[in-house]
Amino acid sequence: MTFSGPQSMFKYQSGRVIALGRVMLSLLFLVSIWLDQSQPAQAATQTYGLLLFYVVFAIGLAALCWRNWWLDARLAAPAHFIDMAVFTAIVFSTNGYTSPFFLFFILPLLSAAIRWGWRETMLTAMGLVLLYLTAGLLVAGSEAFELQRFIVRSGHLVILSAILIWFGIHQQFARLFFGVDELDRRLGRDEEPLSRAIAFAMEATRAGSGALLLAVVDDHRFAGIRLTGGRARPVRADQPLMREPIAAALFDLRRDHLLSRRSDGWHRFAAASKLLDADVVRDIGAAQGLIAEVRTGTEHGWLVLWDIPDLGVDFLELGAELGRGAGAILDHDALLSATEEGAAARTRLSLARDVHDSVVQFLAGAAFRVEAIMRGTHSGGQVESDLKELKRLLIEEQAEIRAFVSALRRDRELELAEAVEELKTLATRLARQWSIDCRVGATNDDASIPIRLQLDLQQLVREAVANAVRHGGASRVDIDLGVDQDLLRMQVKDNGSGFLPTNGDAPVEPWSLKERVDRAHGSLSLFSEPGCTNLLITLPLAGAA
Amino acid sequence: MTRVLVADDHPMIAAALDVLLRGTDYELAGRSRSGTETMTQVERVKPDLLLLDVHMPDGSGLDVLKQLRDTKKGPAIVLLTAGMDDGQLLIADKLEPDGIVLKTSDPAHLLECMEQVRGGQRWIDPEIAERTRDAKERALLAPSLTPRERQLVELVRQGLRNRDIAAQLGVTEGTVKVYLHAIFDKVGVDNRTELAMRAGELLGT
Repeated sequence: MTFSGPQSMFKYQSGRVIALGRVMLSLLFLVSIWLDQSQPAQAATQTYGLLLFYVVFAIGLAALCWRNWWLDARLAAPAHFIDMAVFTAIVFSTNGYTSPFFLFFILPLLSAAIRWGWRETMLTAMGLVLLYLTAGLLVAGSEAFELQRFIVRSGHLVILSAILIWFGIHQQFARLFFGVDELDRRLGRDEEPLSRAIAFAMEATRAGSGALLLAVVDDHRFAGIRLTGGRARPVRADQPLMREPIAAALFDLRRDHLLSRRSDGWHRFAAASKLLDADVVRDIGAAQGLIAEVRTGTEHGWLVLWDIPDLGVDFLELGAELGRGAGAILDHDALLSATEEGAAARTRLSLARDVHDSVVQFLAGAAFRVEAIMRGTHSGGQVESDLKELKRLLIEEQAEIRAFVSALRRDRELELAEAVEELKTLATRLARQWSIDCRVGATNDDASIPIRLQLDLQQLVREAVANAVRHGGASRVDIDLGVDQDLLRMQVKDNGSGFLPTNGDAPVEPWSLKERVDRAHGSLSLFSEPGCTNLLITLPLAGAA
Repeated sequence: MTRVLVADDHPMIAAALDVLLRGTDYELAGRSRSGTETMTQVERVKPDLLLLDVHMPDGSGLDVLKQLRDTKKGPAIVLLTAGMDDGQLLIADKLEPDGIVLKTSDPAHLLECMEQVRGGQRWIDPEIAERTRDAKERALLAPSLTPRERQLVELVRQGLRNRDIAAQLGVTEGTVKVYLHAIFDKVGVDNRTELAMRAGELLGT
């Protein structure tokens, strides 16, 4: 048997709080009337009899309902009427509207507000006001009627009722309210989402076991897992666990009880075998517990929790919240997975494009050159110089591919400083290729950048240098990199004529650069004046994984 | 001499073609690196033959082909490609270029093709011809997508995430996921990458 501290003994146990309150109030009544010589003012024997009955009733009810959620819900309404009747009788027998026991009306009002909603609280309040008036007026009879005291007390009753009605209204919206991000921090993302959702619900209810079964909407093949004793095992069902859409229910298969809440807020008492697929629930291992509906964007199913030490009526609301919470965890996880998949897919597509643009095109070009050399052999062309040129191109491409593959082998991110070192090597190669002065520097290189960006940077540098030399006739290119908040900034400065070719041809747009920058969701701007061209590229660090 | 305009944005290919045409009956009359530049060069250089890369920035080779076919004049056109998806193959088939050469085939095919085209014949790379036949068959058998599904495929092709797609279509992410799975089942792909790869074929673009 597990030890329940006072906090856990009353957590989600409003029935126990009301029962205990009733016992204490009834005892207090009896003792205070016995001690007060002036009371009871009327029908002393009957009043003592009534109070004794009420003490016994309160103790008996508390004992019956302490560990029985079914009886607690079943007897709530009758007990409520008895509370109201006793209130009237006590007020009647103890000086009517001047009764010192007037404040007893708080118990039925509070219990209505806690157990039900604002409508029931309002009905209780109206009933109590009427009963108080009747009892008060009956007792007042021919005696001098103290209007002022009567009004003040009626005012207490109305104001307290109004506050509790408000409480009743807002209790409906007082959800557990948790953020899924917060849950992620608490639970982590190491476990798979089903286990996380069950573990979260088990923790909230202190349940020893739990299961979650889901199926795609409109499908009846449910599958999921069961967690018991810290071990998980798969579970399946070919039928829905519940035969009606019910947000949450308490069930007891041995007694064939099922308690849920109707849409109007009243309890619904039913046979478990009528609404629940008892065989499946029993197969899972549950005999008594809580079942809650779970819905995600694409799936629906049920969360079942059992071995709960203090299962009570309040778990109906908690269960509905946990069902929603489990759905939110699964949706959140699906969203994160989709984002990761999307990022991975974009990277794969982008890599495929890079391989196509560089390797495949290069090899095709090399094949054309070999064909040209072969044809040149027959016609006595400049074979040796063509072969030398082809060899140079092949060696250069080999270095490019090596850099590309080494970037792919890395983790998801690398330090900007490392990226800059590799770009410096590339700049040396480009300087040799184009016979220019090409330098790379960085102003703020202590940031990390995604691998995808590093590959983009390499291609952008190649294309920017080629453009500067081909179109602007540049002899010097300076590249500067830095990270500003969430953006990677690259400035390419050259001493050429920019995109206005020296031969008077039409201006050339940096299409290939622009296309690559657009694909990376970045921006490109170009400032050109004679003898100086400045290309500024910014690329977002996020979403480039 | 047959005057040739080479339209290809890849410097290696352009330089290689320059070398390949050296000492032949073909004269390299000009080069261009984008769709728009190609249209300008065709107007200016007036080549007899246009070697046209399919993948170019600022207007693809197929865009150029369509514009030149619409004018009912212009040079003979040989498409030069490193690879086309089904959608591009079907478009190319409809636009009837004078020749199609795969860059990855034997380079001798290019010169053979140019010879045939110069003689007024059509020459299509055998591999491209076979793939075009297959693409036509697939297009006949392909399940038709609803306008909404086509919209979604287009957005997946653009590399948008579910959240962005949901925002663009004004639906929830859950709905996007349901739609996507329906499309996966319909067209027989396992994930969005495959869907993006087959987008051209599915959309016929």
